[in-house]
Amino acid sequence: MPAIHIEGLSHVYGGTVPALEDISFDVPAGRFTVIVGPSGCGKTSLLMMLAGLRAQSQGTIHCLGRPIPEPDPLRVGVIFQEASLYPWLTALANIEFPLSLRGGAMQEHRKRAEAMLELVGLTGFGARYPHELSGGMKQRVSIARGLVQDPPVLLMDEPFAALDEQTRMTMGHELLRIWSTTSKTVVFVTHSLTEAVYLADEVLVMSARPGRIIDRIHVDLPRPRNYEMMATDMFGRLRDRIWQQIRKSDA
Amino acid sequence: MKPVTVRRLILVSLLIAWEFVPSTGLLPELFLPSLSSTLAVLWKDAAIYGHAVLVTLYEVALAMVIACGGGILAGAAVGGLARVRKLLLPVFSSLYAVPIVILYPVFTAWFGVGSESKIAFAGIYAFFPVMLSTAAGIQTIDPQFLLAARSMGATLPQQIARVIIPASLPTVFAGLRLGGALAIIGVVVSEMLTAAAGIGYLVTLNRTILDSPRVFAAILLILLLSIAYYLASRAIEKRFVVWQSAGKPLQTVQQSAQSTV
Repeated sequence: MPAIHIEGLSHVYGGTVPALEDISFDVPAGRFTVIVGPSGCGKTSLLMMLAGLRAQSQGTIHCLGRPIPEPDPLRVGVIFQEASLYPWLTALANIEFPLSLRGGAMQEHRKRAEAMLELVGLTGFGARYPHELSGGMKQRVSIARGLVQDPPVLLMDEPFAALDEQTRMTMGHELLRIWSTTSKTVVFVTHSLTEAVYLADEVLVMSARPGRIIDRIHVDLPRPRNYEMMATDMFGRLRDRIWQQIRKSDA
Repeated sequence: MKPVTVRRLILVSLLIAWEFVPSTGLLPELFLPSLSSTLAVLWKDAAIYGHAVLVTLYEVALAMVIACGGGILAGAAVGGLARVRKLLLPVFSSLYAVPIVILYPVFTAWFGVGSESKIAFAGIYAFFPVMLSTAAGIQTIDPQFLLAARSMGATLPQQIARVIIPASLPTVFAGLRLGGALAIIGVVVSEMLTAAAGIGYLVTLNRTILDSPRVFAAILLILLLSIAYYLASRAIEKRFVVWQSAGKPLQTVQQSAQSTV
């Protein structure tokens, strides 16, 4: 059974504007899938539907074998665009937030949050407030918050878009390290072709609105990935193929 | 020199000037009685002034309760519910520009010249900034905060208690601070217009009999009252909004509200 199964998914905005058109794909468990596409192609909408945050007009979405009509944090964790951390909570309290919504032992929460903080390499920063952290550190806290309930599926909506190029590369690498220790199914939306190829097992290319899947590209680069791979012919060819597809659909 | 030191020096030199300029004969005692003569009447009439301050404080406190309670409730409704906002926000925003003091004679007719008319007037005067900043605070919450909360499985009550309230707190506090200041202004002004008690009443009373030291004594008390209020509200705000340095909307709301006072 695939972790995510989407069939005949269409969405129409406000009853008139077609946003997504006949999208079907499966994501096997443990796979790192990246969705790329031009701005406004509906990739974020698609992700919101996968998270149960928005309803589709037509078609089925199954997540771990069942539909997801509303958010289910135990199945699907979401990590957002800009750091959507709560500025009135410390890093540790932010990570504990999803646990605290469901009640239970505070000490247990604290322990799990601290373990997550360690996983993302921020041991000792738990008492800091978000405004006291750098952009990269904030996004690490976001990742920790997304992982703390241990959902099998992780959705990421351009999580590194606000970061500078160097931090972005480092964070991508960090994400792969964390992913390799957790064996999650990841769906990652991005604008960056380099990021897409670097991170993905498979890249889904979406067309301009109304968004359709126009290409599926298997990325055969070995893991663990490293920065040197970006200079290889294969990396360049994969990136070029995505670019050609996006350009064709945009024209 | 540090700004704090400069500020203190300015304050001290103003006080010194206040003491010595009148004795040079440059200004008649009627225009500016010296600091020492002002303090002397304050000491002599301590009972009268003390009573007046208590009356004023009582009126200010009740006006603040009305303004804060009503302002936060109305602001939450206007900020949180789109339908209410469409209906009421234009009304409230334009009312805010009306000099509400024109209503004061009506209030004295309705509530008499006692404390009630001051409380009603100052309460309504202070209501608007509290209500408008509460509405702004709720309306300007980053939608990502709520989206994230929903994705983590927060129920609506949890979203309100754990996200909406803390996220709007800095803006609400800015409104409360301004509202409190307006409540003081409202009470003092209305006491000066028509009253039989309170610190503003003492200003008017002594002005009509040209007793300058007593006028200035009352003014001095009002100044001290306002400063004490400002410091107290800052301290409370600092305690509750630790992340204030990250809350940029605070400044802008405050400034835009202050510019209309």
